[in-house]
Amino acid sequence: MVKFESLSYIYAKDMPYATTAIEDIDLEIAKGKITAIIGKTGSGKSTLIQHLNALLLPTKGKLVIEDHVIEADKKATDLKALRKKVGLVFQFSEYQLFEETILKDVAFGPKNFGLSEEEAIKKAKEALKLVGLDETYYTRSPLDVSGGQKRRAAIAGILAIEPEIIVLDEPTAGLDPRGSKEMIELFYRLNKDLHKTIILVTHDNEIVYNYADEVVLLDKGHIIEKKEAKAFFEDTALLDELDILRPQIIALKEALNKKGASIGDDVHSIDDLAKYWRQHG
Amino acid sequence: MDKIVFGKYIPLDTPIHALDPRAKILAMLVVLVAIFLPAGWLGYLFIGIAIGIVIILAKIKFKVILRAFKPMMFMMIFLLVINILSVKEGTVLVDFDIFGHDFTIYADAIFDTLYIIVRLLLMIMITTVLTMTTKPLDLTLGIEYLLTPFKVIHVPAHEIAMMISIALRFIPTIIEETMRIMNAQKSRGVDFEEGKLSEKISAIVSLIVPLFSVSLQRADELANAMEARGYAPDGKRTRYRRLKYAFRDIVLLGGAIAILVMMIILAFVI
Ligand SMILES: Nc1ncnc2c1ncn2[C@@H]1O[C@H](COP(=O)(O)OP(=O)(O)O)[C@@H](O)[C@H]1O
Ligand SMILES: [Mg+2]
Repeated sequence: MVKFESLSYIYAKDMPYATTAIEDIDLEIAKGKITAIIGKTGSGKSTLIQHLNALLLPTKGKLVIEDHVIEADKKATDLKALRKKVGLVFQFSEYQLFEETILKDVAFGPKNFGLSEEEAIKKAKEALKLVGLDETYYTRSPLDVSGGQKRRAAIAGILAIEPEIIVLDEPTAGLDPRGSKEMIELFYRLNKDLHKTIILVTHDNEIVYNYADEVVLLDKGHIIEKKEAKAFFEDTALLDELDILRPQIIALKEALNKKGASIGDDVHSIDDLAKYWRQHG
Repeated sequence: MDKIVFGKYIPLDTPIHALDPRAKILAMLVVLVAIFLPAGWLGYLFIGIAIGIVIILAKIKFKVILRAFKPMMFMMIFLLVINILSVKEGTVLVDFDIFGHDFTIYADAIFDTLYIIVRLLLMIMITTVLTMTTKPLDLTLGIEYLLTPFKVIHVPAHEIAMMISIALRFIPTIIEETMRIMNAQKSRGVDFEEGKLSEKISAIVSLIVPLFSVSLQRADELANAMEARGYAPDGKRTRYRRLKYAFRDIVLLGGAIAILVMMIILAFVI
Protein backbone atom coordinates (compact mmCIF):
# COMPACT_ATOMS: atom_id res chain seq x y z
CA MET A 1 0.00 0.00 0.00
CA VAL A 2 1.12 3.52 -0.83
CA LYS A 3 -0.01 6.42 1.29
CA PHE A 4 0.76 10.13 0.99
CA GLU A 5 0.05 12.10 4.17
CA SER A 6 -0.37 15.88 3.80
CA LEU A 7 2.67 15.91 1.58
CA SER A 8 3.92 19.13 -0.05
CA TYR A 9 6.88 19.76 -2.29
CA ILE A 10 8.43 23.14 -3.09
CA TYR A 11 11.08 23.50 -5.81
CA ALA A 12 13.94 25.92 -5.09
CA LYS A 13 12.72 26.49 -1.55
CA ASP A 14 14.50 29.52 0.00
CA MET A 15 14.91 31.08 -3.44
CA PRO A 16 12.98 34.06 -4.77
CA TYR A 17 11.62 31.84 -7.55
CA ALA A 18 10.36 29.02 -5.29
CA THR A 19 7.46 27.02 -6.80
CA THR A 20 5.02 24.97 -4.79
CA ALA A 21 4.54 22.00 -7.11
CA ILE A 22 2.23 19.90 -4.93
CA GLU A 23 0.50 20.85 -1.73
CA ASP A 24 -1.17 18.92 1.07
CA ILE A 25 -1.49 15.69 -0.83
CA ASP A 26 -3.47 13.03 1.01
CA LEU A 27 -3.71 9.95 -1.15
CA GLU A 28 -3.96 6.23 -0.75
CA ILE A 29 -3.11 4.03 -3.70
CA ALA A 30 -4.47 0.51 -3.47
CA LYS A 31 -2.30 -2.53 -3.96
CA GLY A 32 -2.86 -4.60 -7.08
CA LYS A 33 -4.82 -1.97 -8.97
CA ILE A 34 -4.21 0.29 -11.90
CA THR A 35 -4.36 3.87 -10.73
CA ALA A 36 -4.28 6.65 -13.30
CA ILE A 37 -3.04 10.09 -12.35
CA ILE A 38 -4.38 12.76 -14.66
CA GLY A 39 -4.24 16.54 -14.79
CA LYS A 40 -3.03 19.38 -16.96
CA THR A 41 0.64 19.94 -17.72
CA GLY A 42 2.29 21.53 -14.70
CA SER A 43 -0.31 20.20 -12.25
CA GLY A 44 2.37 18.30 -10.34
CA LYS A 45 2.00 14.73 -11.58
CA SER A 46 5.69 14.12 -12.23
CA THR A 47 6.64 15.75 -8.94
CA LEU A 48 4.19 13.52 -7.10
CA ILE A 49 5.45 10.26 -8.53
CA GLN A 50 9.14 11.05 -8.11
CA HIS A 51 8.52 10.86 -4.36
CA LEU A 52 7.73 7.17 -4.82
CA ASN A 53 11.40 6.54 -5.48
CA ALA A 54 12.67 9.07 -2.95
CA LEU A 55 14.15 11.06 -5.83
CA LEU A 56 12.43 14.05 -4.29
CA LEU A 57 11.99 14.23 -0.55
CA PRO A 58 8.86 15.91 0.79
CA THR A 59 9.17 19.51 1.90
CA LYS A 60 6.33 18.77 4.32
CA GLY A 61 4.40 15.67 5.28
CA LYS A 62 5.28 12.07 4.59
CA LEU A 63 4.92 9.11 2.30
CA VAL A 64 4.50 5.52 3.39
CA ILE A 65 5.23 2.70 0.96
CA GLU A 66 4.62 -0.52 2.83
CA ASP A 67 7.49 -0.66 5.34
CA HIS A 68 9.30 2.39 3.94
CA VAL A 69 8.61 5.81 5.39
CA ILE A 70 9.83 8.92 3.60
CA GLU A 71 9.58 12.06 5.65
CA ALA A 72 10.41 15.74 5.37
CA ASP A 73 13.91 16.62 6.57
CA LYS A 74 14.92 13.02 7.02
CA LYS A 75 17.42 11.32 4.81
CA ALA A 76 15.69 8.33 3.30
CA THR A 77 17.28 5.06 4.27
CA ASP A 78 17.28 1.74 2.50
CA LEU A 79 16.92 3.44 -0.87
CA LYS A 80 17.98 0.36 -2.81
CA ALA A 81 15.23 -1.77 -1.30
CA LEU A 82 12.69 0.96 -2.03
CA ARG A 83 13.80 1.32 -5.63
CA LYS A 84 13.75 -2.42 -6.09
CA LYS A 85 10.17 -2.48 -4.83
CA VAL A 86 8.97 0.53 -6.81
CA GLY A 87 10.07 0.73 -10.45
CA LEU A 88 9.83 4.20 -11.92
CA VAL A 89 9.71 4.75 -15.65
CA PHE A 90 10.38 8.37 -16.48
CA GLN A 91 8.76 10.38 -19.19
CA PHE A 92 10.79 9.99 -22.39
CA SER A 93 12.63 7.16 -20.71
CA GLU A 94 14.42 6.33 -23.96
CA TYR A 95 17.06 8.91 -23.04
CA GLN A 96 18.41 6.78 -20.22
CA LEU A 97 19.81 4.06 -22.51
CA PHE A 98 23.59 3.96 -22.64
CA GLU A 99 25.04 0.46 -23.01
CA GLU A 100 26.36 -0.87 -26.31
CA THR A 101 23.57 -3.38 -26.71
CA ILE A 102 19.93 -3.43 -25.74
CA LEU A 103 20.34 -6.66 -23.79
CA LYS A 104 23.18 -5.22 -21.71
CA ASP A 105 21.22 -2.08 -21.07
CA VAL A 106 18.19 -3.96 -19.81
CA ALA A 107 20.43 -6.11 -17.62
CA PHE A 108 22.01 -3.00 -16.07
CA GLY A 109 19.21 -2.52 -13.51
CA PRO A 110 19.07 -6.06 -12.14
CA LYS A 111 22.87 -6.08 -11.89
CA ASN A 112 22.78 -2.90 -9.83
CA PHE A 113 20.35 -4.59 -7.49
CA GLY A 114 22.81 -7.37 -6.86
CA LEU A 115 22.03 -10.08 -9.41
CA SER A 116 24.88 -11.93 -11.05
CA GLU A 117 25.66 -11.24 -14.70
CA GLU A 118 23.99 -14.50 -15.69
CA GLU A 119 20.80 -13.95 -13.70
CA ALA A 120 20.60 -10.35 -14.87
CA ILE A 121 20.80 -11.44 -18.51
CA LYS A 122 18.07 -13.99 -17.87
CA LYS A 123 15.80 -11.33 -16.34
CA ALA A 124 16.64 -8.98 -19.20
CA LYS A 125 15.59 -11.56 -21.78
CA GLU A 126 12.30 -12.14 -19.96
CA ALA A 127 11.63 -8.42 -19.77
CA LEU A 128 12.43 -7.87 -23.44
CA LYS A 129 10.01 -10.64 -24.30
CA LEU A 130 7.31 -8.94 -22.25
CA VAL A 131 7.73 -5.66 -24.11
CA GLY A 132 7.79 -7.43 -27.46
CA LEU A 133 11.42 -7.10 -28.50
CA ASP A 134 12.68 -10.46 -29.82
CA GLU A 135 16.19 -11.98 -29.92
CA THR A 136 17.18 -9.97 -32.99
CA TYR A 137 17.23 -6.87 -30.78
CA TYR A 138 19.58 -8.29 -28.13
CA THR A 139 22.77 -7.22 -29.85
CA ARG A 140 21.55 -4.02 -31.44
CA SER A 141 22.65 -0.65 -30.13
CA PRO A 142 19.88 1.08 -28.19
CA LEU A 143 20.83 4.27 -29.99
CA ASP A 144 19.93 3.13 -33.47
CA VAL A 145 16.52 1.54 -33.15
CA SER A 146 13.27 3.49 -33.59
CA GLY A 147 11.87 5.76 -30.89
CA GLY A 148 9.12 3.32 -29.98
CA GLN A 149 11.59 0.46 -29.66
CA LYS A 150 13.87 2.58 -27.49
CA ARG A 151 10.90 3.27 -25.24
CA ARG A 152 10.19 -0.46 -25.00
CA ALA A 153 13.82 -1.19 -24.17
CA ALA A 154 13.77 1.45 -21.45
CA ILE A 155 10.60 0.01 -19.95
CA ALA A 156 12.11 -3.47 -20.12
CA GLY A 157 15.02 -2.01 -18.16
CA ILE A 158 12.66 -1.37 -15.26
CA LEU A 159 10.60 -4.55 -15.65
CA ALA A 160 13.80 -6.61 -15.47
CA ILE A 161 14.22 -5.37 -11.89
CA GLU A 162 10.88 -7.07 -11.14
CA PRO A 163 9.38 -4.31 -9.00
CA GLU A 164 6.08 -4.93 -7.20
CA ILE A 165 4.86 -1.45 -7.98
CA ILE A 166 5.40 0.00 -11.44
CA VAL A 167 5.09 3.74 -11.88
CA LEU A 168 4.99 5.17 -15.39
CA ASP A 169 5.16 8.82 -16.37
CA GLU A 170 3.32 9.33 -19.65
CA PRO A 171 4.59 6.08 -21.17
CA THR A 172 2.53 6.46 -24.33
CA ALA A 173 3.40 10.08 -25.09
CA GLY A 174 4.76 10.42 -28.60
CA LEU A 175 3.99 6.84 -29.64
CA ASP A 176 1.83 5.99 -32.62
CA PRO A 177 -1.72 4.72 -31.84
CA ARG A 178 -0.76 1.07 -32.31
CA GLY A 179 2.39 1.38 -30.21
CA SER A 180 0.42 3.18 -27.59
CA LYS A 181 -2.25 0.46 -27.46
CA GLU A 182 0.35 -2.31 -27.25
CA MET A 183 2.10 -0.46 -24.47
CA ILE A 184 -1.00 0.00 -22.37
CA GLU A 185 -2.05 -3.60 -22.92
CA LEU A 186 1.33 -4.69 -21.62
CA PHE A 187 0.70 -2.83 -18.36
CA TYR A 188 -2.80 -4.25 -18.22
CA ARG A 189 -1.39 -7.78 -18.52
CA LEU A 190 1.30 -7.06 -15.93
CA ASN A 191 -1.47 -6.04 -13.60
CA LYS A 192 -3.86 -8.89 -14.33
CA ASP A 193 -1.38 -11.77 -14.77
CA LEU A 194 1.50 -10.79 -12.52
CA HIS A 195 -0.56 -8.74 -10.03
CA LYS A 196 1.67 -5.72 -10.24
CA THR A 197 0.39 -2.48 -8.82
CA ILE A 198 0.41 0.04 -11.67
CA ILE A 199 0.50 3.79 -11.22
CA LEU A 200 0.12 5.53 -14.53
CA VAL A 201 0.46 9.20 -15.37
CA THR A 202 -1.31 9.90 -18.63
CA HIS A 203 -3.11 12.51 -20.69
CA ASP A 204 -5.11 9.94 -22.58
CA ASN A 205 -8.61 9.66 -21.17
CA GLU A 206 -9.43 6.71 -23.44
CA ILE A 207 -6.67 4.76 -21.71
CA VAL A 208 -7.86 5.80 -18.28
CA TYR A 209 -11.44 4.85 -19.03
CA ASN A 210 -10.65 1.53 -20.65
CA TYR A 211 -7.86 0.24 -18.44
CA ALA A 212 -7.64 2.02 -15.08
CA ASP A 213 -9.37 1.02 -11.86
CA GLU A 214 -8.97 4.32 -10.07
CA VAL A 215 -8.44 7.84 -11.28
CA VAL A 216 -6.78 10.68 -9.40
CA LEU A 217 -7.17 14.18 -10.78
CA LEU A 218 -4.55 16.79 -9.95
CA ASP A 219 -4.99 20.49 -10.51
CA LYS A 220 -2.41 23.14 -9.61
CA GLY A 221 -0.75 20.80 -7.16
CA HIS A 222 -3.91 19.69 -5.38
CA ILE A 223 -5.91 16.49 -5.64
CA ILE A 224 -9.37 17.59 -6.64
CA GLU A 225 -10.93 14.21 -7.37
CA LYS A 226 -10.27 10.56 -6.64
CA LYS A 227 -12.76 8.06 -7.90
CA GLU A 228 -13.36 4.66 -9.44
CA ALA A 229 -12.43 5.24 -13.10
CA LYS A 230 -15.63 4.08 -14.81
CA ALA A 231 -17.81 5.98 -12.34
CA PHE A 232 -15.69 9.09 -12.81
CA PHE A 233 -16.33 9.19 -16.54
CA GLU A 234 -20.02 8.25 -16.28
CA ASP A 235 -20.59 11.35 -14.18
CA THR A 236 -20.86 13.76 -17.09
CA ALA A 237 -21.95 16.65 -14.91
CA LEU A 238 -18.71 16.27 -12.97
CA LEU A 239 -16.70 16.06 -16.21
CA ASP A 240 -18.23 19.32 -17.37
CA GLU A 241 -17.50 20.98 -14.06
CA LEU A 242 -13.88 19.84 -14.15
CA ASP A 243 -13.49 20.51 -17.87
CA ILE A 244 -12.46 16.93 -18.67
CA LEU A 245 -12.59 15.55 -22.19
CA ARG A 246 -15.00 12.61 -22.48
CA PRO A 247 -13.86 9.22 -23.76
CA GLN A 248 -15.49 8.52 -27.14
CA ILE A 249 -17.82 5.82 -25.91
CA ILE A 250 -19.18 8.13 -23.19
CA ALA A 251 -19.71 10.90 -25.72
CA LEU A 252 -21.49 8.44 -28.02
CA LYS A 253 -23.73 7.17 -25.25
CA GLU A 254 -24.55 10.71 -24.27
CA ALA A 255 -25.48 11.64 -27.82
CA LEU A 256 -27.64 8.52 -28.25
CA ASN A 257 -29.36 9.04 -24.92
CA LYS A 258 -30.18 12.59 -25.96
CA LYS A 259 -31.93 11.12 -29.00
CA GLY A 260 -34.12 9.01 -26.79
CA ALA A 261 -32.06 5.88 -26.07
CA SER A 262 -31.55 4.88 -22.45
CA ILE A 263 -28.13 3.29 -22.35
CA GLY A 264 -27.02 2.57 -18.81
CA ASP A 265 -23.73 2.86 -16.94
CA ASP A 266 -22.91 -0.79 -17.56
CA VAL A 267 -22.12 -0.15 -21.22
CA HIS A 268 -18.37 0.45 -21.42
CA SER A 269 -17.32 -0.47 -24.94
CA ILE A 270 -18.43 -0.73 -28.53
CA ASP A 271 -19.09 -4.44 -27.93
CA ASP A 272 -21.32 -3.66 -24.96
CA LEU A 273 -23.14 -1.14 -27.08
CA ALA A 274 -23.67 -3.64 -29.90
CA LYS A 275 -25.05 -6.12 -27.38
CA TYR A 276 -27.37 -3.47 -26.03
CA TRP A 277 -28.50 -2.65 -29.56
CA ARG A 278 -29.30 -6.27 -30.33
CA GLN A 279 -31.41 -6.49 -27.20
CA HIS A 280 -33.21 -3.18 -27.54
CA GLY A 281 -32.70 -2.34 -31.21
CA MET B 1 19.16 20.34 -6.87
CA ASP B 2 19.31 24.12 -6.95
CA LYS B 3 22.71 24.33 -5.33
CA ILE B 4 24.79 23.69 -8.41
CA VAL B 5 24.01 26.96 -10.10
CA PHE B 6 25.62 29.38 -7.70
CA GLY B 7 26.01 32.19 -10.21
CA LYS B 8 22.48 31.96 -11.56
CA TYR B 9 20.71 35.19 -12.43
CA ILE B 10 18.22 36.23 -9.77
CA PRO B 11 15.61 38.69 -11.00
CA LEU B 12 15.36 41.53 -8.51
CA ASP B 13 14.77 45.23 -8.82
CA THR B 14 17.92 46.89 -7.50
CA PRO B 15 20.21 49.66 -8.75
CA ILE B 16 22.87 47.04 -9.50
CA HIS B 17 20.48 45.04 -11.66
CA ALA B 18 19.58 48.21 -13.53
CA LEU B 19 23.18 48.98 -14.54
CA ASP B 20 24.17 48.71 -18.17
CA PRO B 21 25.82 45.32 -18.78
CA ARG B 22 28.71 46.97 -20.63
CA ALA B 23 29.43 49.18 -17.63
CA LYS B 24 29.32 46.15 -15.37
CA ILE B 25 31.68 44.12 -17.54
CA LEU B 26 34.12 47.02 -17.91
CA ALA B 27 34.02 47.77 -14.18
CA MET B 28 34.64 44.12 -13.47
CA LEU B 29 37.68 44.06 -15.77
CA VAL B 30 39.08 47.21 -14.18
CA VAL B 31 38.65 45.83 -10.66
CA LEU B 32 40.12 42.47 -11.71
CA VAL B 33 43.24 44.29 -12.87
CA ALA B 34 43.28 46.19 -9.55
CA ILE B 35 43.08 42.90 -7.66
CA PHE B 36 46.19 41.67 -9.39
CA LEU B 37 48.29 44.64 -8.32
CA PRO B 38 50.45 43.93 -5.28
CA ALA B 39 48.65 46.51 -3.18
CA GLY B 40 48.91 44.74 0.15
CA TRP B 41 46.30 43.98 2.76
CA LEU B 42 45.03 47.52 3.03
CA GLY B 43 44.22 47.50 -0.66
CA TYR B 44 42.37 44.19 -0.47
CA LEU B 45 40.42 45.39 2.54
CA PHE B 46 39.40 48.40 0.51
CA ILE B 47 38.32 46.35 -2.53
CA GLY B 48 36.53 43.91 -0.25
CA ILE B 49 34.51 46.74 1.29
CA ALA B 50 33.67 48.15 -2.15
CA ILE B 51 32.43 44.77 -3.38
CA GLY B 52 30.56 44.29 -0.10
CA ILE B 53 28.66 47.51 -0.72
CA VAL B 54 27.74 46.37 -4.22
CA ILE B 55 26.57 43.01 -2.84
CA ILE B 56 24.38 44.74 -0.28
CA LEU B 57 22.96 47.08 -2.92
CA ALA B 58 22.23 44.08 -5.15
CA LYS B 59 20.34 42.41 -2.28
CA ILE B 60 22.38 39.24 -2.60
CA LYS B 61 22.56 37.21 0.57
CA PHE B 62 26.13 36.66 1.79
CA LYS B 63 25.11 33.05 2.35
CA VAL B 64 24.81 32.66 -1.42
CA ILE B 65 28.28 34.13 -1.97
CA LEU B 66 29.72 31.76 0.62
CA ARG B 67 28.19 28.91 -1.30
CA ALA B 68 30.08 30.06 -4.37
CA PHE B 69 33.33 29.68 -2.43
CA LYS B 70 32.71 26.07 -1.56
CA PRO B 71 33.90 24.48 -4.83
CA MET B 72 37.16 26.44 -4.41
CA MET B 73 37.94 24.88 -1.04
CA PHE B 74 39.81 21.95 -2.48
CA MET B 75 41.91 24.16 -4.72
CA MET B 76 42.81 26.42 -1.82
CA ILE B 77 43.99 23.53 0.34
CA PHE B 78 46.00 22.25 -2.59
CA LEU B 79 47.60 25.67 -3.04
CA LEU B 80 48.44 25.84 0.63
CA VAL B 81 50.18 22.48 0.54
CA ILE B 82 52.17 23.36 -2.59
CA ASN B 83 53.24 26.67 -1.11
CA ILE B 84 54.25 25.15 2.20
CA LEU B 85 56.39 22.66 0.34
CA SER B 86 57.99 25.10 -2.06
CA VAL B 87 58.34 28.51 -0.40
CA LYS B 88 61.48 28.62 1.70
CA GLU B 89 61.64 32.26 2.71
CA GLY B 90 60.72 34.43 5.66
CA THR B 91 60.78 33.56 9.32
CA VAL B 92 60.50 29.95 10.33
CA LEU B 93 57.14 29.19 11.93
CA VAL B 94 57.40 25.49 12.56
CA ASP B 95 60.29 23.11 12.31
CA PHE B 96 59.94 19.42 12.95
CA ASP B 97 60.93 15.97 11.86
CA ILE B 98 58.71 13.44 10.14
CA PHE B 99 60.27 10.03 9.66
CA GLY B 100 63.68 11.56 9.53
CA HIS B 101 62.72 14.24 7.03
CA ASP B 102 63.31 17.78 8.09
CA PHE B 103 60.11 19.72 7.72
CA THR B 104 59.91 23.48 8.01
CA ILE B 105 57.03 25.87 7.48
CA TYR B 106 58.00 29.43 6.67
CA ALA B 107 55.87 32.47 7.36
CA ASP B 108 55.98 33.54 3.72
CA ALA B 109 54.41 30.29 2.60
CA ILE B 110 51.36 31.03 4.68
CA PHE B 111 51.26 34.68 3.63
CA ASP B 112 51.65 33.93 -0.06
CA THR B 113 48.85 31.42 0.08
CA LEU B 114 46.58 33.80 1.92
CA TYR B 115 47.37 36.42 -0.69
CA ILE B 116 46.35 34.16 -3.55
CA ILE B 117 43.27 32.96 -1.70
CA VAL B 118 42.09 36.47 -0.97
CA ARG B 119 42.57 37.41 -4.61
CA LEU B 120 40.66 34.37 -5.76
CA LEU B 121 37.84 35.04 -3.32
CA LEU B 122 37.55 38.64 -4.46
CA MET B 123 37.46 37.49 -8.08
CA ILE B 124 34.76 34.94 -7.37
CA MET B 125 32.76 37.57 -5.52
CA ILE B 126 32.90 39.98 -8.43
CA THR B 127 32.03 37.48 -11.11
CA THR B 128 29.24 36.02 -8.99
CA VAL B 129 27.75 39.46 -8.47
CA LEU B 130 27.97 40.12 -12.20
CA THR B 131 26.22 36.91 -13.25
CA MET B 132 23.64 37.07 -10.47
CA THR B 133 22.53 40.57 -11.34
CA THR B 134 22.75 40.50 -15.14
CA LYS B 135 20.47 38.55 -17.44
CA PRO B 136 22.58 36.13 -19.52
CA LEU B 137 21.22 37.69 -22.70
CA ASP B 138 22.22 41.18 -21.53
CA LEU B 139 25.61 39.86 -20.65
CA THR B 140 26.24 38.57 -24.15
CA LEU B 141 24.76 41.68 -25.68
CA GLY B 142 27.20 43.68 -23.58
CA ILE B 143 30.10 41.49 -24.71
CA GLU B 144 29.04 41.88 -28.32
CA TYR B 145 28.89 45.67 -28.01
CA LEU B 146 32.28 45.78 -26.31
CA LEU B 147 33.87 43.53 -28.93
CA THR B 148 32.42 45.37 -31.91
CA PRO B 149 35.32 47.89 -32.19
CA PHE B 150 37.70 44.93 -32.51
CA LYS B 151 35.96 43.83 -35.69
CA VAL B 152 38.54 45.88 -37.58
CA ILE B 153 41.18 43.39 -36.48
CA HIS B 154 38.85 40.53 -37.51
CA VAL B 155 37.55 39.58 -34.08
CA PRO B 156 34.25 37.82 -34.89
CA ALA B 157 32.28 39.78 -32.29
CA HIS B 158 28.86 38.57 -33.32
CA GLU B 159 29.87 34.93 -33.60
CA ILE B 160 31.52 34.99 -30.20
CA ALA B 161 28.45 36.58 -28.66
CA MET B 162 26.17 34.06 -30.37
CA MET B 163 28.28 31.16 -29.13
CA ILE B 164 28.23 32.51 -25.60
CA SER B 165 24.48 33.10 -25.63
CA ILE B 166 23.80 29.62 -26.96
CA ALA B 167 26.08 28.12 -24.33
CA LEU B 168 24.41 30.17 -21.60
CA ARG B 169 20.99 29.33 -22.91
CA PHE B 170 21.73 25.63 -22.72
CA ILE B 171 23.33 25.49 -19.29
CA PRO B 172 19.99 25.24 -17.47
CA THR B 173 18.74 22.76 -20.06
CA ILE B 174 21.78 20.58 -19.61
CA ILE B 175 21.55 20.77 -15.83
CA GLU B 176 17.90 19.77 -16.04
CA GLU B 177 18.77 16.97 -18.42
CA THR B 178 21.55 15.80 -16.10
CA MET B 179 19.14 15.71 -13.17
CA ARG B 180 16.61 13.79 -15.18
CA ILE B 181 19.07 11.19 -16.38
CA MET B 182 20.61 10.89 -12.91
CA ASN B 183 17.17 10.28 -11.44
CA ALA B 184 16.33 7.75 -14.12
CA GLN B 185 19.55 5.85 -13.41
CA LYS B 186 18.99 6.06 -9.66
CA SER B 187 15.68 4.33 -10.28
CA ARG B 188 17.68 1.59 -11.96
CA GLY B 189 19.70 1.15 -8.80
CA VAL B 190 22.67 3.39 -9.57
CA ASP B 191 24.19 4.98 -6.49
CA PHE B 192 25.91 8.24 -7.39
CA GLU B 193 27.13 8.94 -3.88
CA GLU B 194 28.67 5.76 -2.58
CA GLY B 195 30.19 2.61 -3.90
CA LYS B 196 33.43 1.07 -5.06
CA LEU B 197 35.52 2.74 -7.74
CA SER B 198 34.25 0.38 -10.44
CA GLU B 199 30.65 1.18 -9.44
CA LYS B 200 31.43 4.87 -9.46
CA ILE B 201 32.81 4.61 -12.98
CA SER B 202 29.81 2.69 -14.21
CA ALA B 203 27.56 5.31 -12.57
CA ILE B 204 29.34 8.15 -14.36
CA VAL B 205 29.22 6.32 -17.70
CA SER B 206 25.48 5.77 -17.29
CA LEU B 207 25.14 9.52 -16.92
CA ILE B 208 27.64 10.81 -19.46
CA VAL B 209 26.68 8.68 -22.46
CA PRO B 210 22.98 9.63 -22.50
CA LEU B 211 23.91 13.22 -21.73
CA PHE B 212 26.19 13.37 -24.75
CA SER B 213 23.67 11.81 -27.05
CA VAL B 214 20.93 14.17 -25.86
CA SER B 215 23.21 17.21 -26.17
CA LEU B 216 24.31 16.29 -29.68
CA GLN B 217 20.71 15.80 -30.64
CA ARG B 218 19.78 19.19 -29.15
CA ALA B 219 22.65 20.85 -31.01
CA ASP B 220 21.55 19.29 -34.25
CA GLU B 221 17.95 20.41 -33.77
CA LEU B 222 19.05 23.93 -32.90
CA ALA B 223 21.31 24.17 -35.93
CA ASN B 224 18.45 23.05 -38.15
CA ALA B 225 16.03 25.50 -36.57
CA MET B 226 18.49 28.34 -37.04
CA GLU B 227 19.15 27.45 -40.65
CA ALA B 228 15.44 27.10 -41.35
CA ARG B 229 15.03 30.68 -40.20
CA GLY B 230 17.77 31.85 -42.50
CA TYR B 231 20.46 32.46 -39.91
CA ALA B 232 23.86 33.24 -41.35
CA PRO B 233 26.60 34.30 -38.96
CA ASP B 234 27.91 37.03 -41.22
CA GLY B 235 24.49 38.40 -42.15
CA LYS B 236 23.77 42.07 -41.50
CA ARG B 237 21.18 42.50 -38.80
CA THR B 238 19.59 45.20 -36.73
CA ARG B 239 19.06 45.00 -33.00
CA TYR B 240 15.81 44.77 -31.14
CA ARG B 241 17.38 45.82 -27.86
CA ARG B 242 19.80 48.71 -27.75
CA LEU B 243 21.95 49.56 -24.78
CA LYS B 244 22.20 53.06 -23.37
CA TYR B 245 24.51 54.34 -20.66
CA ALA B 246 22.90 56.17 -17.75
CA PHE B 247 24.36 58.30 -14.96
CA ARG B 248 24.63 55.34 -12.57
CA ASP B 249 26.87 53.56 -15.09
CA ILE B 250 29.27 56.49 -14.99
CA VAL B 251 29.24 56.31 -11.17
CA LEU B 252 30.10 52.60 -11.34
CA LEU B 253 32.91 53.06 -13.84
CA GLY B 254 34.22 56.05 -11.93
CA GLY B 255 34.25 53.96 -8.76
CA ALA B 256 36.06 51.12 -10.48
CA ILE B 257 38.69 53.43 -11.93
CA ALA B 258 39.13 55.13 -8.54
CA ILE B 259 39.82 51.69 -7.02
CA LEU B 260 42.35 50.93 -9.73
CA VAL B 261 44.13 54.27 -9.22
CA MET B 262 44.23 53.71 -5.48
CA MET B 263 45.70 50.26 -5.90
CA ILE B 264 48.34 51.64 -8.24
CA ILE B 265 49.25 54.25 -5.64
CA LEU B 266 49.31 51.66 -2.86
CA ALA B 267 51.38 49.28 -4.91
CA PHE B 268 53.91 51.50 -6.60
CA VAL B 269 53.96 54.94 -5.02
CA ILE B 270 53.71 54.42 -1.28
N1 LIG C 1 13.06 21.05 -11.56
C1 LIG C 1 12.13 21.98 -11.33
N2 LIG C 1 12.47 23.18 -10.81
C2 LIG C 1 11.54 24.13 -10.56
N3 LIG C 1 10.23 23.98 -10.78
C3 LIG C 1 9.82 22.80 -11.30
C4 LIG C 1 10.73 21.74 -11.60
N4 LIG C 1 10.03 20.69 -12.10
C5 LIG C 1 8.75 21.08 -12.11
N5 LIG C 1 8.60 22.35 -11.63
C6 LIG C 1 7.34 23.09 -11.47
O1 LIG C 1 6.48 22.34 -10.64
C7 LIG C 1 5.17 22.33 -11.15
C8 LIG C 1 4.71 20.90 -11.38
O2 LIG C 1 5.48 20.33 -12.41
P1 LIG C 1 5.37 18.80 -12.83
O3 LIG C 1 5.38 17.97 -11.60
O4 LIG C 1 6.42 18.54 -13.83
O5 LIG C 1 3.94 18.75 -13.51
P2 LIG C 1 3.32 17.73 -14.56
O6 LIG C 1 4.15 16.49 -14.55
O7 LIG C 1 1.92 17.51 -14.09
O8 LIG C 1 3.34 18.41 -15.88
C9 LIG C 1 5.19 23.17 -12.40
O9 LIG C 1 4.73 24.46 -12.05
C10 LIG C 1 6.63 23.20 -12.81
O10 LIG C 1 6.94 24.40 -13.44
MG1 LIG D 1 5.21 15.62 -16.14
